[in-house]
Amino acid sequence: MQRILPLIVFLGLMIAAPPGAQAKISLFACEPEWAALARELGGADVEIFTATTPRQDPHHVRAKPSLIAAMRRADLVICTGASLEVGWLPILLQKAGNASVQPGGAGLLLAAELVPLLEKPVRLDRAEGDIHPEGNPHVHLNPHNIAPVAAALTERLKSADTANASSYQARSDDFAARWRDATQRWEQQAAGLKGTAIVAHHKAFTYLLAWLGIQEAGMLEPKPGIPPTASHLEAMLQKLTLNPVRLIVRTPYDPADASEWLSQKSGAAAIVLPFTVGGDAESGDLFALFDRTISLLKGASGA
Amino acid sequence: MRNPSFAASAALSLLFSSTAFAASDSDIQAMKVEIQAMRQTYESRIAELESKLSKIENQKPAAQQAAVPAAPVPARQSARTIRDNSFNPSIGLILNGKYSGFSEESSEFAGFAIGEEGERGKEGFGIDESEFNFSSNIDDKFYGSVTAAIVREGGEDKVELEEAYVQTLPGMGLPKGTNIKAGRALWTLGYLNEQHAHTDDFADRPLPYRVFLNSAFNDDGVEVSYVLPTDFYSEIGGGAFRGDDTPFGGSSGGGFDAWSAFARIGGDIGENQSWRLGGYALSGDAGGRAGNGDAVDFTGDTSLYAADFRYTWAPTGNPRAQEVILQGEYFWRSEDGTYEDFGAGTGATAFDDNARGWYAQGVYKFLPQWRIGYRYSRLKSPDVPPGLLGSALDSGGYNPDAHAVMADWTNSEFSRLRLQYNHEELARGQGDDQILLQYIMSIGAHGAHKY
Repeated sequence: MQRILPLIVFLGLMIAAPPGAQAKISLFACEPEWAALARELGGADVEIFTATTPRQDPHHVRAKPSLIAAMRRADLVICTGASLEVGWLPILLQKAGNASVQPGGAGLLLAAELVPLLEKPVRLDRAEGDIHPEGNPHVHLNPHNIAPVAAALTERLKSADTANASSYQARSDDFAARWRDATQRWEQQAAGLKGTAIVAHHKAFTYLLAWLGIQEAGMLEPKPGIPPTASHLEAMLQKLTLNPVRLIVRTPYDPADASEWLSQKSGAAAIVLPFTVGGDAESGDLFALFDRTISLLKGASGA
Repeated sequence: MRNPSFAASAALSLLFSSTAFAASDSDIQAMKVEIQAMRQTYESRIAELESKLSKIENQKPAAQQAAVPAAPVPARQSARTIRDNSFNPSIGLILNGKYSGFSEESSEFAGFAIGEEGERGKEGFGIDESEFNFSSNIDDKFYGSVTAAIVREGGEDKVELEEAYVQTLPGMGLPKGTNIKAGRALWTLGYLNEQHAHTDDFADRPLPYRVFLNSAFNDDGVEVSYVLPTDFYSEIGGGAFRGDDTPFGGSSGGGFDAWSAFARIGGDIGENQSWRLGGYALSGDAGGRAGNGDAVDFTGDTSLYAADFRYTWAPTGNPRAQEVILQGEYFWRSEDGTYEDFGAGTGATAFDDNARGWYAQGVYKFLPQWRIGYRYSRLKSPDVPPGLLGSALDSGGYNPDAHAVMADWTNSEFSRLRLQYNHEELARGQGDDQILLQYIMSIGAHGAHKY
């Protein structure tokens, strides 16, 4: 009896623990872009927790204690999917023990499942670097990918919080209209960028480049996820001497040294694109993210 | 087949006709006729079925056909397609090899009798703890995982079952935040115990783990944990165990001989710093725990209390680029029972005292692929009663300590090379300088980024 006493005390504690007070819908967003989308659609009805900051590489995040607590509280989770969060999301889902946000259920929305993925590897081999079997996961930098995610998130919000369904729908309709207009505007503004060649640090901008018709002339990483090496950069420089590019782009979390080195040697401008909402001071929401990205690209390439 | 006996006899006779004896022309003729007859029967039957099918299709109203959405036509599968392997579990393999060089001939702990896993590794090259893992959801309510290590003990390669457990999934309908795990697992105790050795920041375990836990506590048992509904992270839990693994041993099997309880809290400080603190208790009966080979036996009650902390800081905001990790654990062990050192011929001697041990370490990732680290570990040996003077447990008032420095290079998430230097002084005058060169590689399932 004495031996199982702690177990009984524990079980008692467990039953006595009060259920969390539930005022608003609690939404867990893996990345800042999805948090920004939830803010557009949920307004004040949703309490949003963002798991990563724009300065963190979303591949390389730990299942830290604060994330477990937030996952336990969540009514709805929105993440990128396509194995972007493969190292930490499964642990959070398991550890938090929250039945309403499990894979396959209505509580977990994975953006990459809603849009066509690019760069699905033909050869699934880790010798190719940190590749994702599903395809490139950085889907959010094409505004045409945001629209279906917004529609799906609206439906999830409506069913999770039926009392406020009409306000979600109203915000969603408003967002969809503004997004459509903005997308057209961006496409006009960026028309001059078509055919420009650029070099990127990591395959983080694939969807942006494909959308705007910008040509990806190379990567600073020799293989996805493998940091740049001197020999690879040297080879890249040789390539750029023959076929010059105007721009070398990277995310706020990519180290600057490789970009800066190649920029000095080749004369191409090295710029940091915000990559996600909050990636720089000007990119405060999803609209500003695209405004800023296009203006940076145009400014630096002289288009 | 409609006429299997005929087919069998035909096949047999054909076989024999070519090998055993020559059939007469009339036999062959008879067979040909029969085959022809069969072919005609089947052909007419197929034609009949085809005409029936087309009639039915034509009878179907045109409107109904149009209403049927253009559903994707499932690809015709050959009857021989094997689909059982679609549900194969995820598989991960860890290849872990180490070269060790020591300056001292032998390594003895002053004041402690330890298990085999707690001993200094073997000298030279060895693939210690290469392991494989299979895991998968079992159904909507359970998850299962098995990890087995291949170790070389006594000149033989042995498979050592490190973990084999089932765990509840949220679909079980337990209260939110609750997990139950049963089987054999690396149980919740301090920081390192839950981790597989290949994820450690150093090539060997710190002294308290080697002495108190024989490297890790993975007894057979059951554990319940509960994440509390608080804004910051807090978790409580406890378990009941068979009592066969160090610090216990020799369980009679008549129930649970050991139990545990734990509580943990954690959170963030701003965006770039995280922390976790924990307190743990593990207590039970050791019905005969062997140490130093089989030279020492302990029988009695043993209780182990532990506290751990871990703190991470990403100076640039991106832990991928740069990170500082500070970690430490403290153990306090109280034992009441009898020790016997067979080598020293002490006989079973009453013992009631405690021992302590701790370690603290810091690891600094200064480039995305490069880390350096330092660890200090120290033990406080127990005082021995007069009956144990001169035995392996008599430390002579000496407290073992060890320094470790390491540097490692991580090519990708799946491969790491490490160089480590240890200076261990586990007994008075036994200054052991050690060089460890290690590789850790993983194949298959993507590893988890645990905190």
